[in-house]
Amino acid sequence: MAAPRSEAAAAGPSPRGGSASRPRRGRWRWGLAGASCALLLPPLLLLLCAPPSVAQKKKENLLAEKVEQLMDWSVRRSVIRMNGDKFRRFVKAPPRNYSVVVMFTALQPQRQCSVCRQANEEYQVLANSWRYSSVFSNKLFFSVVDYDEGADVFQQLNMNSAPTFMHFPPKGKPKRADTFDLQRIGFAAEQLAKWIADRTDVHIRVFRPPNYSGTIALALLISLVGGLLYLRRNNLEFIYNKTGWAMASLCVVFAMTSGQMWNHIRGPPYAHKNPQNGQVSYIHGSSQAQFVAESHIILLLNAAITMGMVLLNEAATSKGDVGKRRIICLVGLGLVVFFFSFLLSIFRSKYHGYPYSFLIK
Amino acid sequence: PNARLHFLVPAPAARPRSLPLRLQLGSARQSGASRGRARAPAAKLRPLGLAAGLPLPPGRPRPASPAGWQSLLSFTILFLAWLAGFSSRLFAVIRFESIIHEFDPWFNYRSTHHLASHGFYEFLNWFDERAWYPLGRIVGGTVYPGLMVTAGLIHWILNMLNITVHIRDVCVFLAPIFSGLTSISTFLLTRELWNQGAGLLAACFIAIVPGYISRSVAGSFDNEGIAIFALQFTYYLWVKSVKTGSVSWTICCCLSYFYMVSAWGGYVFIINLIPLHVFVLLLMQRYSKRVYIAYSTFYIVGLILSMQIPFVGFQPIRTSEHMAAAGVFALIQAYAFLQYLRDRLTKQEFQTLFFLGVSLAAGAVFLSVIYLTYTGEWHQGWKYAKIHIPIIASVSEHQPTTWVSFFFDLHILVCTFPAGLWFCIKNINDERVFVALYAISAVYFAGVMVRLMLTLTPVVCMLSAIAFSNVFEHYLGDDLKRENPPVEDSLGPNIKSIVTMLMLMLLMMFAVHCTWVTSNAYSSPSIVLASYNHDGTRNILDDFREAYYWLRQNTDEHARVMSWWDYGYQIAGMANRTTLVDNNTWNNSHIALVGKAMSSNETAAYKIMRSLDVDYVLIIFGGVIGYSGDDINKFLWMVRIAEGEHPKDIRESDYFTPQGEFRVDKAGSPTLLNCLMYKMSYYRFGEMQLDFRTPPGFDRTRNAEIGNKDIKFKHLEEAFTSEHWLVRIYKVKQLQNRETLDHKPRVTNILSKQKYLSKKVGSQGNYPTKVGSGLSGRW
Repeated sequence: MAAPRSEAAAAGPSPRGGSASRPRRGRWRWGLAGASCALLLPPLLLLLCAPPSVAQKKKENLLAEKVEQLMDWSVRRSVIRMNGDKFRRFVKAPPRNYSVVVMFTALQPQRQCSVCRQANEEYQVLANSWRYSSVFSNKLFFSVVDYDEGADVFQQLNMNSAPTFMHFPPKGKPKRADTFDLQRIGFAAEQLAKWIADRTDVHIRVFRPPNYSGTIALALLISLVGGLLYLRRNNLEFIYNKTGWAMASLCVVFAMTSGQMWNHIRGPPYAHKNPQNGQVSYIHGSSQAQFVAESHIILLLNAAITMGMVLLNEAATSKGDVGKRRIICLVGLGLVVFFFSFLLSIFRSKYHGYPYSFLIK
Repeated sequence: PNARLHFLVPAPAARPRSLPLRLQLGSARQSGASRGRARAPAAKLRPLGLAAGLPLPPGRPRPASPAGWQSLLSFTILFLAWLAGFSSRLFAVIRFESIIHEFDPWFNYRSTHHLASHGFYEFLNWFDERAWYPLGRIVGGTVYPGLMVTAGLIHWILNMLNITVHIRDVCVFLAPIFSGLTSISTFLLTRELWNQGAGLLAACFIAIVPGYISRSVAGSFDNEGIAIFALQFTYYLWVKSVKTGSVSWTICCCLSYFYMVSAWGGYVFIINLIPLHVFVLLLMQRYSKRVYIAYSTFYIVGLILSMQIPFVGFQPIRTSEHMAAAGVFALIQAYAFLQYLRDRLTKQEFQTLFFLGVSLAAGAVFLSVIYLTYTGEWHQGWKYAKIHIPIIASVSEHQPTTWVSFFFDLHILVCTFPAGLWFCIKNINDERVFVALYAISAVYFAGVMVRLMLTLTPVVCMLSAIAFSNVFEHYLGDDLKRENPPVEDSLGPNIKSIVTMLMLMLLMMFAVHCTWVTSNAYSSPSIVLASYNHDGTRNILDDFREAYYWLRQNTDEHARVMSWWDYGYQIAGMANRTTLVDNNTWNNSHIALVGKAMSSNETAAYKIMRSLDVDYVLIIFGGVIGYSGDDINKFLWMVRIAEGEHPKDIRESDYFTPQGEFRVDKAGSPTLLNCLMYKMSYYRFGEMQLDFRTPPGFDRTRNAEIGNKDIKFKHLEEAFTSEHWLVRIYKVKQLQNRETLDHKPRVTNILSKQKYLSKKVGSQGNYPTKVGSGLSGRW
């Protein structure tokens, strides 16, 4: 809430002293504008006798002022926050020679709009790509109207969903295609850029700030492991522990064979709850898809069968009490047979028309 | 020698397989004779069991007879595995006929035909002007020639021996024959890794496992059919060379690798896995001269050989996926050099420190390369493809894998192979490091992309065989007849027989599952369709071949046929006509142009078709019989691909209703209802009433009554529609002889003069030019 206020306060012609060079440049430019106004004053007075031309001049002045103002804001911040008044003055009011892309959104935490936040991130990426691109000009501005700051704008435009992206062309009213089709295309910055290129002929190459989080996590992990190794440098036997390595490999194998990669790429729901009777189903009915819960069940079943096989081997090779070994052997066998037939029955319920089953229908 | 001592194992290994073998053969409708043969090994088990029971003091040379029995038994089992694998791949041939399947095999068949009829050098220089009109395609330099050369060579040898076989039959039966070779190389590799019994089990598993059958049924004449053999054989020779450290084994490995490179792009898997193996061996301090000799020889000779394939060329020294091999080569040289120095010098501690530093640095470089290669290209590459190139996303093989696919293709093996992996890691040695790495990398790739299940299948078979063989080794066979009978430790015969029996039942279920899957899912040629009536009788729908043959017989030899790219290879192969785009999707903009023509209205499409010199348009329409793989169902991909290249003209949103649905009925978007694809699919379909319960023009695939029944063409005319309307061919009309004028012709008084003249001349009518001739005729 504080940010737009301070920006509005700073929007006047006397900017606060900043450490960066940007505000200074702004001031200089404003100074120049003031000087040119002063220089232009006598001719203006002279021209008062020619009303249409004066109106033209006035309009041009107004336009130049608006563009200057917008440029100033967007230099400072790539997305301009607007309230109702500013929106009407800069976006709706006629003398314009620039396009404005407006995101109508509800970012306040109490609105609980998670989509808005994601869309906002993409929008910021896009606006920054434009702001720091080599073709940055005063032909296109990005702005945002928050519902809690400009509810009147929402009412005025008859808008009842957020986020919405709209393009306001330099001339005339926005058409149907000037509203971004969020439902169908999604709000990826690339798609937005494509849409803007389509509407305004301004081609923005989306530049995402490289995501270092993965690299940092990897570096942290490596340093952690390295540190651990260094601390335990006197006793490195655990590296040669075959059981640990075998466990790790089996984890990878189980994760893959139970379709965790599919979950990672497709992002299915955890389970499905039937809205009518509130029944929760953990198994997806089709063989083409799966739920997260289902893949976890499969992972456990696979692990149990493998463990059964290992136990069978243990029972036969270990040296120990025969009765105990017999029990291990039977447990192993039970694990293999029971869980395999369970797995087969799940498979059968998903793959319609599969004829075979074992123990469990 | 350690492996040889386990000669009790083949017997248990043989018994589980004898049941599935019989089932396999029975299901493939083989005669009783082969059943009798399948029973033979079971009968031979008894003498072997007795022979094996003889107490043998270790270290003494083994008597000749068990070894003889053993090799005979192994030989028989391998032969039967080959036979079972071959027979279970014949479903399609028995049900339909000896025919090439699907799409890509048609191109391979056409190239092989060219090779067989024009010779090898002509094939390498072949410029195919019938594809990608008007661009053409340099075939010799853009294919992996191994498949064609193999089939061509077999054909040539058979003809040399005066066995006259058509090249098509060689192509159809190549993959089943190679599946036998795959079994044998899997046997050899598993024997090196574990023991002979596990090897035989693995050979039997891979002979019938659906994950491999899916790419190697009779008629599926594709690279993977021979590449899996080459893959397994290369790995066998590699393990052999690491074990022995002999240059001759390594040279054999390189030759096998060369064959693999010539056969399939999946050779990249080998050239990354082998360096990974060496690297891990170095990390585990298992470096030895054997590894050094094997890898140095393999890298250099393999590199030079792989660069001999025109399609591969200089890629092995340029692209990132080959860099890991080069990095490991440098690393192992440095490591060997340091070892050499350490032997010579005395400053021990300094040496170790130095070597540690260097190997760590090199390892970091290697790891980063690996990281970039795999995460950067394989995984991210998929995401990139998903967003940016609709053509890649539109291919259903490039999808991640659900657990159902794993279970469907591998059945019990997918749950038991982790146990085999466990045993391998617990009893680790140089070659088991290799199989563990193989398993983990292959399972990752299979998880990312469903088609890479193919590379996972062999290692799953091997590890599963190890797990089962371990169980049978301990539970099958008599304790009393063992070398030193552990009577007091025994689990007792009852438990043992229960375990054995249940395990055999599981394996039997596996065999039954494999046969069922092969028969139901993987044995459809897809160019001949079959439908079943209620009483079980079968209708063959042979529309594709009917239409292609019509094209071959009734159109000009140089006619250009436009169709969606799926059918390019089939048109070229069966109809022998020029196509614009085909399944080798190398030129996206050309495909987008065809997609644009299909999704524009008739006038705009006619302009595109004129500029591409199109004579005929071929489409697939399934609305009459309810075939879901037709062009209307693929249509959105055409629109998307066209939109990617021509965003100004084609917009995907125009083809949806305002509610965002894709509908072909009256509520559908007008753009869709007037685009060329829609009009061609449903031309005159509105007059057709399929059923008394449905209105005329009812589309059975989409269960909707079509929205535009009054379709008229201006620039096209229907040329051919197959029996079940599955294929429809339209002829593109030439430009009209004379442009019709938009405005009325200016009225002059010439006409009246002519009338006057003609009246004067007589009954010649108003054709002033003919006046002279008329007069002369009269005279």
